[in-house]
Amino acid sequence: MLKEIIKNIITKKKVITFPEGFNISPEEAAKIVSFQEKIDRAFSRSLRIRQVDAGSCNACEWECTALTNPIYDIQRFGIDFVASPRHADVLLVTGPVSRQMELALRKTYLATPEPRLVIACGDCTIDGGVYRGSYAVSNGVANVVPVDCYISGCPPTPIAIIKGLMELMKKISG
Amino acid sequence: MEEIYRKKGVKIREHLNEQYIEVSRKDFKDSCAYLYEKKHSVLRLMFATDERRIDNSFRIYTVFSIPGIDRFFIIVLSLKDDDFTFPSITTEIPAAHWYEREIRDMFGLIPKGHPDLRRLILHDSFPANSYPLRKDWSITETDLREWGEGVKQKEPYNFMEVEGEGIYEIPVGPVHAGIIEPGHFRFSAVGETIVFLEPRLFYTHKGTEKHFEGMSFFDGIKLAERVSGTSSFSHSVAYCMAVERIAGIEITEKAKGVRTLLLEIERLYNHIGDIGNMCAGTGLAVGYAKGAVLKENLMQLNDRLTGSRYLRGINVIGGVTKDVFLQADAILSTVNDVTHGYKDSMRLLLGSASHIERLENTGGLSKDIAQKLGVTGVAARASGINDDIRKAHPHLLYDRLEFESHTMTKGDVFARMMVRAEEAECSISMINALLENRYEGELSVEVMEIPEYSSAIGYAETPRGSVFYWVMSDNEGRPFRVKLRSPSYCNWPAVPFAGQGNIVPDFPLCNKSFNLSYSGCDM
Repeated sequence: MLKEIIKNIITKKKVITFPEGFNISPEEAAKIVSFQEKIDRAFSRSLRIRQVDAGSCNACEWECTALTNPIYDIQRFGIDFVASPRHADVLLVTGPVSRQMELALRKTYLATPEPRLVIACGDCTIDGGVYRGSYAVSNGVANVVPVDCYISGCPPTPIAIIKGLMELMKKISG
Repeated sequence: MEEIYRKKGVKIREHLNEQYIEVSRKDFKDSCAYLYEKKHSVLRLMFATDERRIDNSFRIYTVFSIPGIDRFFIIVLSLKDDDFTFPSITTEIPAAHWYEREIRDMFGLIPKGHPDLRRLILHDSFPANSYPLRKDWSITETDLREWGEGVKQKEPYNFMEVEGEGIYEIPVGPVHAGIIEPGHFRFSAVGETIVFLEPRLFYTHKGTEKHFEGMSFFDGIKLAERVSGTSSFSHSVAYCMAVERIAGIEITEKAKGVRTLLLEIERLYNHIGDIGNMCAGTGLAVGYAKGAVLKENLMQLNDRLTGSRYLRGINVIGGVTKDVFLQADAILSTVNDVTHGYKDSMRLLLGSASHIERLENTGGLSKDIAQKLGVTGVAARASGINDDIRKAHPHLLYDRLEFESHTMTKGDVFARMMVRAEEAECSISMINALLENRYEGELSVEVMEIPEYSSAIGYAETPRGSVFYWVMSDNEGRPFRVKLRSPSYCNWPAVPFAGQGNIVPDFPLCNKSFNLSYSGCDM
């Protein structure tokens, strides 16, 4: 028993088990585990996300909500969704940015403290997706606020969003 | 009906179960009022078209259906000679109030006699005297740049104000605290009690109806699927149905089976998820977590069946792309597991006094108000209005399936939860019944030709209520006009009434019990 504990302290090996229903391959699981270490380093075990809907169809929001369910349980990585941009490290923006949400998105961006990272989540955040060319959309988030990372998919699955967060971490910690 | 038919200058045109009755300007209001008051009909949707290219007129269409008759009565009014006004029917039929304001915003046609002519869809930052759905309208670069803070010709929007001692305003949104869609709410409160609530929506307005006009009928499906995320399948069913009815195609038994089955699976995952979500409103973490896991199981089933967690990419014009009945075993076993878990969690919820206490008598919506505002779906049935498109206008396989539409009378949050619970059980038994039968035929039939300048209605019952698509073709085989009406558009005006008299902290719960889509409403 004591040996076991000492061994664990020495190797600092963390074991994350995935619950049933978490459809993921072992390689991806390994990546996610190393992703955890990166968050630990970059944000001292805490990454706070403020989700902003800028005209999405609501599918992306439900996938973000699914991240907090007991199957994906994103909080165990130290990641959580917060209620105000003032509390956030990252803005997760969804939707092609409807013209009537532009101002609100800009204000939310300015209210976020530095480093003020932006993740654009969903196909329509890239170039407007199916809404591209409509008079009432801005054809993508980058036309309104600077974007650090894109997550594609319509909507991206919860696993794709977790992977996207991982990419962002790579970008920060190198 | 004879009363309308006998009027002078009435032209009647029939297409399937749609009856278009063209009346004169003088008779328009009376005809609508007659259908509404004497025949107790429901206003399903109201919209305008710009048909100046065809015969130099704008047209106003008001679609009614009379309970017990599978037929749409559509009163049509033509506006000729540059007369951009039409008689408002809002004072007679309050359910028309949003439709008429929308027509004013999008076409610049003024409903004369409307009590509230503020803008609805376009915000004050949109250039004045600019009407997007007119055929000769296109936005210029300068207008686009202007749209927003720099707009020169502003059309101001004044919120209603409540005056009195101790009354204060709480503005909330458009960016909310949770992971939800944007909308602005302005509460006027005394202490904690809501005296008046005014929502300002349409922040997610994406110009969907205009965007349809630039697409092919086939590409339109992709757009219809992305109007409201959790009702993707019902929206695409309604859209495809409208186009199929224009083209005069009857889809095969197999396609009907697949569509009916997936409509019920969509209803099931939404209802189970919504019941769980209501627990988030009362702080019952266990109930919320259980609901979320059950919903996730169904989403993963969707993924296995169709390759999309939101059942996208299945509908095509003329049928479906996949035979989900091949995976009947997977459906059965998942639905069985979910049923067990769901019954378990309902026992937990109904046994939790603190949860039920919060739901009862909160957010009450009276039958009278619900009827006047034309509320649809779960919200209507919880207030005692027995209206279900699956029964009222049977389509797909619904005339062969045995099911009941459940109603409650109280119209509070608890009633809306129980209606969902009973409908979920109903969907489970329908899914089982559908899987017992075999359905013959190809997956889809070929669409040969879409006749020019013809129109039809498509409809479906989404988890939130009825959705309608009215599609008209042009002479080049493209959509000329697509009018979509999501259930949330009908139900949003009722939310302030349900909120009144409650305390502000109960509003999120109240809102969750309706679970309306902002994107679907804002179009």
